[in-house]
Amino acid sequence: MIRPLDPVSTTSRTVLGLAFFVLFVLVWALATFGGYVPKTFLADPLTMLHEGWDLLAKYGFVFDIGMTIWRVVGGFVLAAAIAVPIGVLMGAYKPIEAFLEPFVSFARYLPASAFIPLLILWAGIGELQKLLIIFIGSVFQIILMITVAVGNTRRDLVEAAYTLGASDRGIIGRVLLPSAAPEIAEILRLVLGWAWTYVIVAELIGSSSGIGHMITDSQALLNTGQIIFGIIVIGLIGLISDFLFKAFNAWLFPWKLA
Amino acid sequence: MTMLRIAQVSRTFPARAGHAPTRALEPIDLAIGDNDFVTILGPSGCGKSTLLRIVAGLDRPTSGRVLLDGREVTGPGADRGMVFQSYTLFPWLTVRDNIAFGLRERGVPDTERGKIADRFIQQIGLSGFANHWPKQLSGGMQQRTAIARALANDPKILLLDEPFGALDNQTRVLMQEMLLGIWERDRKTVLFVTHDIEEAIFLGSRVLVMSARPGRIKADIKIELPHPRSYKVKTSAEFVALKERLVEEIRAEALKVVAEA
Repeated sequence: MIRPLDPVSTTSRTVLGLAFFVLFVLVWALATFGGYVPKTFLADPLTMLHEGWDLLAKYGFVFDIGMTIWRVVGGFVLAAAIAVPIGVLMGAYKPIEAFLEPFVSFARYLPASAFIPLLILWAGIGELQKLLIIFIGSVFQIILMITVAVGNTRRDLVEAAYTLGASDRGIIGRVLLPSAAPEIAEILRLVLGWAWTYVIVAELIGSSSGIGHMITDSQALLNTGQIIFGIIVIGLIGLISDFLFKAFNAWLFPWKLA
Repeated sequence: MTMLRIAQVSRTFPARAGHAPTRALEPIDLAIGDNDFVTILGPSGCGKSTLLRIVAGLDRPTSGRVLLDGREVTGPGADRGMVFQSYTLFPWLTVRDNIAFGLRERGVPDTERGKIADRFIQQIGLSGFANHWPKQLSGGMQQRTAIARALANDPKILLLDEPFGALDNQTRVLMQEMLLGIWERDRKTVLFVTHDIEEAIFLGSRVLVMSARPGRIKADIKIELPHPRSYKVKTSAEFVALKERLVEEIRAEALKVVAEA
């Protein structure tokens, strides 16, 4: 009997989580091996694994994976390095927020993928162009969310710090930042996930390496096994980076969990 | 020597859409002497917290000024330590680091900071909890730490805004005794806001009764109960007489609030 908001044990949580993956593969296998879907449109799980092995062993797919990871991390770090200070300043100082917020809100809705033609014109089809797409896709989102996180700092904590003699710099460095830090880390984790979708789009056009590039190549050859393998690799890397990020955050902010 | 002077301080909150401006405080004149423990007693919404926030520099008076040792208060500062009703320990700092917050802000060296913090940790009886996060503490322990945090700065005056208001009755009584013990030892000037009559008498050497909104000082009563005071004083004839008198004073004000609502 399940009841609303009843907790679930750790073991059942793991079992249930894995069960859906198993179910998913079962349905996929049934659809393909059972002949319900033509092989041209959807490879079966075994073919997919086989193609994946070929990719890794014969076609140097590891290099593509490496390129993609480097682009995501590079563009993301660039965006975070610029967006975090701006977001903190906007959250702390309302005139700065009033000055920048409307533009950033507008820029947030500019689709990063639509910049690809412009960026190719400006930056060519090299690495810089890929990084810039991820940068554009992430930077405005991070700024806005961090502004909110910092602006939501508990007022009574700020007042307490003032009565303890804190300067304005002390308020930012020793109250606003540590108070918003766990949320900032969560925001970065979230946006890193989005950066993964931008990188693939960036690699679909005008690229000679990366997971996205492999996927377009495979499309030309109608190799759905390789395409699906590429997609699954992206999913796995995303899952791993998310897990690492979560563990890192928990280690960084023990007071949150205490 | 007079330390704190409140001169013609009033506070009117500006009109909000559809509402008239709120007069929270009538012009108030008050002098608080060195080493005094003054409790401000009043019904909820009488502006007693507003008065305390103005002294702390967290709110500005509409008219008048606050002088501490002859210097006008223009903003919050380390010379006026404050303890709030809500739990305001910094959740990312341990008990020790919370207590040392003001010292660190003033640039006190690390080792000396640790020494001062440890002394206060001992004083509030939290020796085993120096490295705990606020989340791991009970409400009473958190407020004890908050008092230590304010005292560690060695302020000229300690401002307390219903610090025990959120605690259960038994804990509150113990906290009152602890605070009184600290005061009897240090004789730090204290301004303590409460709506609890017994608390006001037990702690104070002087009780100021505030009227219903707009707040003004309605009565100024000296409490002559001897120090050190133990909880037993609460059943003495003198205490009971004071309580009876204050119950009447506060009841009249509370009735006004209810009639207005």
